Parts: sequence; structure tokens; C-alpha cells
Amino acid sequence: MTKLAQWLCGLALLGSAWAALALAPPGLQPPGPLRQALLPLPVYLLVAFGCYSLATVGYRLATFNDCEEAAAELQEHIRAARADLRRRGLRLGAE
Amino acid sequence: MATATDQLVGFGLVAFSLVLFVYYTLWIIVLPFMDSDHGIHQFFLPREYAVIIPVAAGLLLLLFIGVFIMFVTWKSRKHTKKSD
Repeated sequence: MTKLAQWLCGLALLGSAWAALALAPPGLQPPGPLRQALLPLPVYLLVAFGCYSLATVGYRLATFNDCEEAAAELQEHIRAARADLRRRGLRLGAE
Repeated sequence: MATATDQLVGFGLVAFSLVLFVYYTLWIIVLPFMDSDHGIHQFFLPREYAVIIPVAAGLLLLLFIGVFIMFVTWKSRKHTKKSD
């Protein structure tokens, strides 16, 4: 089974469990506060996932290892290669 | 080491998403179990907004993404038309 199929099966399972509890007839409903916390659960999980994504992006941005010398060296190489190619007659688009 | 602005923005994002997560968790999951005369309820909007605000924000996000894609597509098509 592909990963997509696995994820969809898992989502379908959790979704149907939630729907069964949320749409239950008044006799079989879970008690008051529990039901109140249960109903917005899909939106809550979406928001929680969004928060996790934002935090991951921010953390990786903050802990990224810039190598400034390597970047400067690379720019030097690019400039040298450009000059060399121009000398040999190749016309380059960007400057 | 990332630059200072990178670190600031990065950790700022982490702090923001942490605050948002804690607030939203309290709102959705903890508040139903607190008595209606508990002081904590004054810090939270009525419960309907806990669903309306994320859904509206999500739709707005989709709108911006769609507009951005349209804009970029239009720009690139204008460029290829010009080079013809």
C-alpha cells in the first residue's frame, strides 16, 4: 500500500470516529464538556499542525549554518569563470 | 551561524507559534472543563470564534496564494509574449 493510501486510511478512520461521536443522537452523546471539546477537534488539529510547521520553519531558519567564506569564495569562482568565458567569446545573459 | 536577523526572526516565529498553540489549546480543550464563573473565561472570546477565525484565516491564505500564482503566471506569460 502506498504512503498516500496509508495516510488516507488513517484520516478516514479518525474522521469516521470523530463523526460518529459528533453526530451521535442525543441519547448516545458523550457528556457535556467532553462533547464541547470534541466538536472543533478537526480545526484544532489543523491549527496545531500549522503552528508546528511555523515553529519548524522558524527554528531551522534560526539555526541554519551560514558559511560566509565559502559563499564569498564561490562568488569569486563565478566571477573568474565569467571573465574566462567572455574572453573566449561566449556571450552571457545575466551580469 | 545564521545572521542575527535570521536568528531573531526564526526564534520570533518559534515563540509566536508556541504562544498561539498554548492559547488555542486552552481555548478549545481546557475551557469546556472549567466552571463558567471561573476568572479565566474573561481572556477568551466566545467559543464560535475559535472555529470562525482559523477558517477565515485559512480562506484568506488560500486567496493570497491564488492571487500570487495568478500574478506570477501573468508576468511570465507577458515575458514570453514579448520575446516572440
